[in-house]
Amino acid sequence: MILSYLSLTNFRNYGRLEVNFSPGMTLLYGPNAQGKTNILESIYYLATTRSPQASADYQIINWEAMEADDQIVVGRIVAQVQLPEGPRHIEMRLIQEKVRGSMRFRREALLDRRKVRLMDLLGNLRVVLFLPSDVEMIGGPPATRRRYIDILLCQVDPTYCRTLSTYNKVLEQRNAALRQHLETGRGRDVIRILTDDLVQKGAVIIQSRAKYMRHLARVAQRIHYESLTDGRETLRLAYLPRLQGNGLSQSTGDEMSGEMQQLSEKVDWLAGQSDYSPVEEWFSKVVQSQEARDLSSGVTTVGPHRDDWRFWINGRQLAHYGSRGQQRSAMLAFKLAEIEFMREITGDFPILLLDDVVAELDKSRRALLLSFIQERTQAFLTSTDSSMFPSTFLRSTKIFVVKKGRLEEETNQSIKHVEEVEDKTQI
Amino acid sequence: MSVLPRSIQQLINEFSRLPGIGPKSASRLAFFLLRGADPNQAVDLANALVALKENTRFCSICHNITEDDPCVICTNEERDSTLMCVVEEPLDLVAIERSRAFKGRYHVLHGSISPVEGIGPDDLTIESLVKRIDAGEYSEVIIATNATLEGDTTARYLERRLASFGLKLSSLARGLAVGSDLEYTDEVTLSRALQGRQEL
Repeated sequence: MILSYLSLTNFRNYGRLEVNFSPGMTLLYGPNAQGKTNILESIYYLATTRSPQASADYQIINWEAMEADDQIVVGRIVAQVQLPEGPRHIEMRLIQEKVRGSMRFRREALLDRRKVRLMDLLGNLRVVLFLPSDVEMIGGPPATRRRYIDILLCQVDPTYCRTLSTYNKVLEQRNAALRQHLETGRGRDVIRILTDDLVQKGAVIIQSRAKYMRHLARVAQRIHYESLTDGRETLRLAYLPRLQGNGLSQSTGDEMSGEMQQLSEKVDWLAGQSDYSPVEEWFSKVVQSQEARDLSSGVTTVGPHRDDWRFWINGRQLAHYGSRGQQRSAMLAFKLAEIEFMREITGDFPILLLDDVVAELDKSRRALLLSFIQERTQAFLTSTDSSMFPSTFLRSTKIFVVKKGRLEEETNQSIKHVEEVEDKTQI
Repeated sequence: MSVLPRSIQQLINEFSRLPGIGPKSASRLAFFLLRGADPNQAVDLANALVALKENTRFCSICHNITEDDPCVICTNEERDSTLMCVVEEPLDLVAIERSRAFKGRYHVLHGSISPVEGIGPDDLTIESLVKRIDAGEYSEVIIATNATLEGDTTARYLERRLASFGLKLSSLARGLAVGSDLEYTDEVTLSRALQGRQEL
């Protein structure tokens, strides 16, 4: 898929922007705080309906526009995408309303100029976003990893996305029912109905995660082994569903504990099943065994909303034992695997968004990344410094200078400059 | 401080408390009534508003909104009293009546089970429904709650609650909207439509 046109209205620091893009590489280049990242963010937002960071949406609207008129502000992201089956017009409107004195934020989605539900935007524009902070996910809280994998899977599987949304609603209702039971001692019958729902929707989530994570893990392992560590290290990605009462014992994290090993094997088996009944049965048993605890604590303590997934290298947990360099390599392998994974599932390459990540990588990893994306698909890269790109790369790349919310296409000048620099360094 | 006379300002304030009406629309409505072509319009409106609260009540049998208790549907001898349709809101009843496809009795729940909003089975008219079924001669109950999570939860609750009466329980079919394109139908609706397919 190719993003051929992008238009932004009142989005971040862009009052108005219209730009045509071509296939292949596009470099957005310029000093900090000029709006490079905002372009990537707008594309990401249109593809996923989410912000890259879990920050509040209202920040997305242009501040100047907000002061001009506090009644209603329409921010707008419009893209033209070339899909194998033809062009597609994708639009998101960001509407800020003042309702009875308080600000309210609302979004509208349009597909080929028809109003659709926000969720229906997913899958029309698929992206993989590279951020320097990605690597922090490895040692971060499980919620970050869950959000990450959910956004990825929602782009390739609309049913997963819908089921996840329903699961979250059921969970919210069940938790409310549990709290009310705690206060009044009533409502066991409603809890039972919601538990059935929870198990049914949760089973779909768990099995989808198991299946997709196994697929991702396989691709990531191969890239990591062959291209990043010359066969020295084996990367392992394990999906750990929360299907046990007390969670996994967090043994200091080096070797996989027996319990974890067992869970991991069961998940592998699950990923190969063709229908949901084994996982439903499993989840149902666990929920039942935890019912007393749920009733006394007023929250649902087991289920996919508490899932996790982790990285291991040569049998040791990366979050605890990996060096920074090992963590970077693992993350890079994982991101490259995401690209392959999306192509294998959907038959089409996603669009790549690389926000200032090239500077983070050492020379060999940088070369691998650039060759990987160059061969494949459309990519947007941001950088403050074009000299870190090889001149061969720049020659085949479209370059825009980003300055104070404006884009200007740059021709040969900066390339010449880089070539001069390279010449000097050779002397 | 407002320069408008108090009676106008008060009307504007009341209008702007209505859903979908902001201060500007409220002022326009108030001035329209003040200076409108039809001098009786304001009085007619006022009377209609008073009548709304004074003359309407809930039917003691089906809990629909009515002026006479019991309501015209509950007292209509020609309707089938072995068939009952359970709906969430009075407007749902109106929608089903408009279809002219149902000639039985109704029961209005006045909401659906939603613990998040603090609404449990006891907050709905379920007890009265159970009593009606116990005392009546119903052979089938159609549960026509909304196709939402809350509507489904309510339907499942009723299913359990009414199971012991040994009558036929049914729900509305889920599927394609009439006149809709398959292409634009979402996966969930489509899969429900496939599950509920009918033999030709």
